[in-house]
Amino acid sequence: MTLHMTKTQKLLRIMGNNMVPILFLVICAFGIPLSGYSANFLASEIVIRISRNSFLIVSLLIPILAGMGLNFGMTLGAMAGQIGLILISDWGIVGIPGIILAMIISTPISVLLGWWCGKILNMARGREMVTSYIIGFFMNGIYQLVVLYGMGAVIPVRSNALLLPRGYGIRNTVNLIGIRRALDDLLLIRLFGIPIPLATLLVITVLCLFILWFKKTKLGQDMRAVGQDMEVARAAGIKVEHTRIISIVISTVFAGYGMILYLQNIGTLNTYNSHMQIGMFSVAALLVGGASVSKANIRNVFLGVILFHLMFIISPMAGKNLIGQAQLGEYFRVFVSYGVITISLVLYEVRKKRDQHYVGLQLAADQEALQ
Amino acid sequence: MNLQQLTSSAKGLVKSFGLPRIIIGLFLLSLFITAPFVGVNIGTSLSDTFNRFGMNAVMVLAMVPMIHSGCGLNFGLPLGIIAGLLGATISLQVNIPGPTSFLLAILFATPFAVILGWGYGQLLNRVKGGEMMIATYVGFSSVAFMCIMWLLLPFSNPTMVWGYSGTGLRTTISTEGYYRHVLNDFLSIQLTDHLTIPTGMLLFFALLACIIWAFLHTKTGTAMTAVGSNSVFARASGINVDKIRTLSVIMSTWLGAIGILVYQQSFGFIQLYMGPFYMALPAVSAILIGGASVNKASILNVVIGTFLFQGIVTMTPSVMNSMIHTDMSEVIRIVVSNGMILYALTRKAEVTR
Amino acid sequence: MKLALTRTFWFRFVAILIILVFAVVLFFIGKQHTVLIDNKTVTVGGQEIRALQLVEIQIDNKDSMELAARDRDKEDVTGQKHSVTVIYTDSNWEEYTIERTFEVPLMQEMVLLSIPTLVANPEADQSLWLENYEPPTYAVTAADREEEVIIDDLSVLLTDI
Repeated sequence: MTLHMTKTQKLLRIMGNNMVPILFLVICAFGIPLSGYSANFLASEIVIRISRNSFLIVSLLIPILAGMGLNFGMTLGAMAGQIGLILISDWGIVGIPGIILAMIISTPISVLLGWWCGKILNMARGREMVTSYIIGFFMNGIYQLVVLYGMGAVIPVRSNALLLPRGYGIRNTVNLIGIRRALDDLLLIRLFGIPIPLATLLVITVLCLFILWFKKTKLGQDMRAVGQDMEVARAAGIKVEHTRIISIVISTVFAGYGMILYLQNIGTLNTYNSHMQIGMFSVAALLVGGASVSKANIRNVFLGVILFHLMFIISPMAGKNLIGQAQLGEYFRVFVSYGVITISLVLYEVRKKRDQHYVGLQLAADQEALQ
Repeated sequence: MNLQQLTSSAKGLVKSFGLPRIIIGLFLLSLFITAPFVGVNIGTSLSDTFNRFGMNAVMVLAMVPMIHSGCGLNFGLPLGIIAGLLGATISLQVNIPGPTSFLLAILFATPFAVILGWGYGQLLNRVKGGEMMIATYVGFSSVAFMCIMWLLLPFSNPTMVWGYSGTGLRTTISTEGYYRHVLNDFLSIQLTDHLTIPTGMLLFFALLACIIWAFLHTKTGTAMTAVGSNSVFARASGINVDKIRTLSVIMSTWLGAIGILVYQQSFGFIQLYMGPFYMALPAVSAILIGGASVNKASILNVVIGTFLFQGIVTMTPSVMNSMIHTDMSEVIRIVVSNGMILYALTRKAEVTR
Repeated sequence: MKLALTRTFWFRFVAILIILVFAVVLFFIGKQHTVLIDNKTVTVGGQEIRALQLVEIQIDNKDSMELAARDRDKEDVTGQKHSVTVIYTDSNWEEYTIERTFEVPLMQEMVLLSIPTLVANPEADQSLWLENYEPPTYAVTAADREEEVIIDDLSVLLTDI
């Protein structure tokens, strides 16, 4: 009897810990038949979304390891990636060399921005997330200053296809025709009629292996220690501030690469919007995959991409078939994206408080036992 | 000796006033000084600034109770705005024209503000320490949720719903014929052709500000301040911390609701759907520019901050445009407002609480 | 900050240098050029060279194309060194094949390759039949109008990702 009870309890606990993915499974289970999409269509869409988004989401993992929460400052990396893409488009470098060159250009910018972001987050300890969020907004202003007023005026950009007619500033949309699907089409195979971009998936696999390897290195272990307890880590001789900055730098650089891969798949760059949306959607997808603010792994990334984007694809159609308004579905998915982040943040804080409470009780009990 | 005294007192002044505030103040002053030389009418500018001040001041005031009780900056202002929007739309649905509709809107908004604020307060009590991030996302998700509701709720006043389908509210609804400019035009003073002072709106703000000021000096008000400055001490002296915090959140939410109503009556339109999405950020940065910090704010901060922030927002486009023929005001606004929030979030002395 | 000339420093220095060299190499091999292939009657050095009636052109290993007299086509290529294969028949229905390699200067976005000139002087220097081409500016400005820049953060929320 007692054994049975604990089994139920166990099940309940697993359910409680995976509430968000389960909720999404339910939404998708109801939504797929409502939307009326074929399995083949959905599968090929999911493959596209995995190859498009997972690199960006993986870039969020390392700051979580270092205990800095969800790095909303990944938009900084996205901006750096976009600057790289604008420059190679202007120079007319195409194909795989263009993508690699854009990555090389984005790297120093990402490192600089990430280092600055890490410095500021060190000053705002305890509220890294809201600070990184505001940093994203702040840098958006600087990005606009550079791209809308600097490019063509201070930074040489000559192409008429990129510049606004007034002679400086980049247009709203930049056509990335030269690198469009360059990596995806490098090794494209069809499986049951579903196109699978092997080269992109290979790059993502390499990144995942890197993350797994990185967690085992000295630096990775240091980050884990800093993430668990900053003071203990400091006492153990780890340079806490430095480690935290490095984690943000790595995240920013990867976010820049991820943005370049993302845009080579899409093929057009929305100069003033693309980077802002990417932070929110990546964070939401990671959380949907069952990650929390303090714990995330690669499994969460892929589960998250699949579930989140499934919801994203089906909801307009489901809304249209259910109520007769596609717009309703669009609002619904925005609501769900934000709702998921809210729920995950609340759950994390509540659990943290409960754990602290438990530790306090334990301490009191120990003291009593001593007396 | 005099010089020394002067410099030290100047340093003290800078310290008490805060360097960013002085820079922003000087920037605004320089804008006002250059304005006449580049052909911008100073009367129009001042009049615009007063108008915008009145429109936004109540929403900035909505920051005060939550900062006082230690809930941090109210990034969840959109929740209050939604209560206001519900009040506004219901008032228009009841369809009583004229200034009465404004009172009705306040009346209808109040229960929503109290209920939403109460729930929001309960939530924030469970997440002490992480309020700001969660507040941001509570605001966002509630706005997105209401987007769905605006489409579905059974409103029927033809001025509000989409003409062709007859259901679902429009994205912008005119308050013409209802409460447009009821406060603006009340006792308004026309000084010159270009300079009008919206007395009614300013008086309304002054009234609310006085109420809040008076409240903060009552027993409950001082308890709120105590909770904000040291919650452990407050608990020890027998204050129900959670209850006080909830009260402060309800007050902030209600002020947010009133704030958007004041905004609408001057602006002339009710903005639904994604309209309230980013309304928290300007209000947050305004109070920070006024000298508030993450856990300290006064009515004076609200007045100074709103004036400086709205002054810059009004003055930069016109002055910049006539000076260099490019409108960089948007970039300046983004950098100044978010820079100010960053500055406040990273100040060491404020973190310890 | 004092620069410490340790082993680590030199490793990093060399690594950065290699990446920079690599970037330059990428610039060279990834640069896109448009080759305009022209089969028109031209005058070179006061001498008229008539267009060919029908000619088959292949650039590198891309699909070959057929050009009649006065035709013009284009091919996008990346990198500098390319080959061109021209197959044509003369008035006696005898088939000739000319194969030449040419090098596009790095900073020229568009080059014009004149087939009749190449056929007439198959051994000549490439500068005779390959020249830089600047697209006429009116073609660009005519389509241009002032564009409103949208920096609205909210529009992003409802777009597809």
